[in-house]
Amino acid sequence: MADVKRYGYVIDSARCIDCRACLVACRAEWQVPEGQTRIWVNSSGLKGTFPNLSQQFVPFQCQHCRDAPCLDACPTGATYRREDGLVMIDEEACIGCGLCVKACPYDARFYNEEKGVAEKCNGCYTRIDRGELPACVATCVGGARLFGDFNDPDSVVNKALKGRAAHRLINEIDTQPNVYYLEPIEEDNQSWPEAKEMTPAETFWRKLATPGTKLAIGAMVLGQASAFAKQLVSGENEFEE
Amino acid sequence: MSTVNLPLAERKRLKKKKLTKHHLANILTHWFNAFSWGFLLATGLAILGNRVYQTVPAQWSAFLRNLFGGLAPLIKWHESWGMFWAFVITFNVLVGFRKYFMPFGARRMMLDQDDLEWFKQYGRKLAGLSYQLPEQDDYNAGQKAFSYVVILGIITIIATGLIMTFSPQVMRATGGMQWLIQWAMPIHFTAVGLVVAGLVVHIYMGAIFPEERSAFFSMFSGKVDALYAYSHHHKWYKRYIRAEQEWEAGELAKDIEMGVGTAVSDAELDELAD
Repeated sequence: MADVKRYGYVIDSARCIDCRACLVACRAEWQVPEGQTRIWVNSSGLKGTFPNLSQQFVPFQCQHCRDAPCLDACPTGATYRREDGLVMIDEEACIGCGLCVKACPYDARFYNEEKGVAEKCNGCYTRIDRGELPACVATCVGGARLFGDFNDPDSVVNKALKGRAAHRLINEIDTQPNVYYLEPIEEDNQSWPEAKEMTPAETFWRKLATPGTKLAIGAMVLGQASAFAKQLVSGENEFEE
Repeated sequence: MSTVNLPLAERKRLKKKKLTKHHLANILTHWFNAFSWGFLLATGLAILGNRVYQTVPAQWSAFLRNLFGGLAPLIKWHESWGMFWAFVITFNVLVGFRKYFMPFGARRMMLDQDDLEWFKQYGRKLAGLSYQLPEQDDYNAGQKAFSYVVILGIITIIATGLIMTFSPQVMRATGGMQWLIQWAMPIHFTAVGLVVAGLVVHIYMGAIFPEERSAFFSMFSGKVDALYAYSHHHKWYKRYIRAEQEWEAGELAKDIEMGVGTAVSDAELDELAD
């Protein structure tokens, strides 16, 4: 087993029956406010004609991306990545600006009005750290949700992936998600990532405020440094003052 | 006002004479303000730990996060000291020491013709051309201009700081206007940046520049020497000496009433002041 873990999920949508026990378990574990949820089961509806009908259910959540746009959107680092790859929110440090909510291509985050912070799946880190499975995985009756260490060849996730063509929710946007799906996902499923534009405030900050401020301070430091150099070269006349 | 024509003996005499420029209220407020700017700037820059917005090395962020016990306590310290600073500054200016600060705002901040000329001449000085700086009051035109940047900056910093500190309440009160918090962050950053750009000059002029050495020590003692006042703040110097002499004339008048001494005319006072 490798020293450094890389936690992630494997989801077998063929085993999901849309019972939503995972949503209930997650809500109970984290007191998620009513009307909001950290995880979903997406479906694009019935396909085919009677009697040849099919329907795909896609359990969905934060993808714990290795190249997560939310990490760059959060100014303070209240959104951070643990060594084991889980993308986290430090609720104590989050000031609820909501830039991460707007940056996530999967819309996996929401603003919790009660707490005034951003919220999303945190991999049930409190359970993982004491050797348990995330609440949604532990409760999944069909075994559609699996969790484990991708760096461990004997982990349940690697065993599940063995000999299977794994799929990830990647299109022209590839943020290196750590959630793998065992079945191909229908193109009209709402789980696919969407490109997000920067908010005007972020554009102002990145393109104007940061370089402009650096330029202003830099110019002043240079100006004063040259004055100081002049002062050193010319010396002082003790009788002048 | 140039000191070129002053004889050495006169310079030495003026150098020894001390004029009170700052009251204790100004001195205490100044150093409280200076400490707060240092503390809030150091912690504020460390809070911006994201690689996109980082303006100082990541080690600085890591160092302060470790020192304060994590990002959350670091933010709480920044917010708490920020609110304490905002309260002290606002209280001192509007309530506590208003007898020192209010006349300051009313009289010393207005730009007059001489100040506009000062900018022109100072531009020539910076460009290396010949220049003749006009007489200045107790604060020169550059200091007056910077005071506007600082005051506007401080108001902006306090307003945006409060929006961020109380973001959940702001969200509830405004019915979810999250763009207020999103804009508060870069505006807070920019306002601090512009004041800091001016502070670079303020610190150099105050602490290093030899001609302003007397001003530096006055931020501890409250006093400047008369030679410095004569050459850098001549209008104020004349007013100060005149006030001094009017006081003396008042004392003399009391003596004359009592039948000792002779009165001094206004013309004589002017001559003495020059």
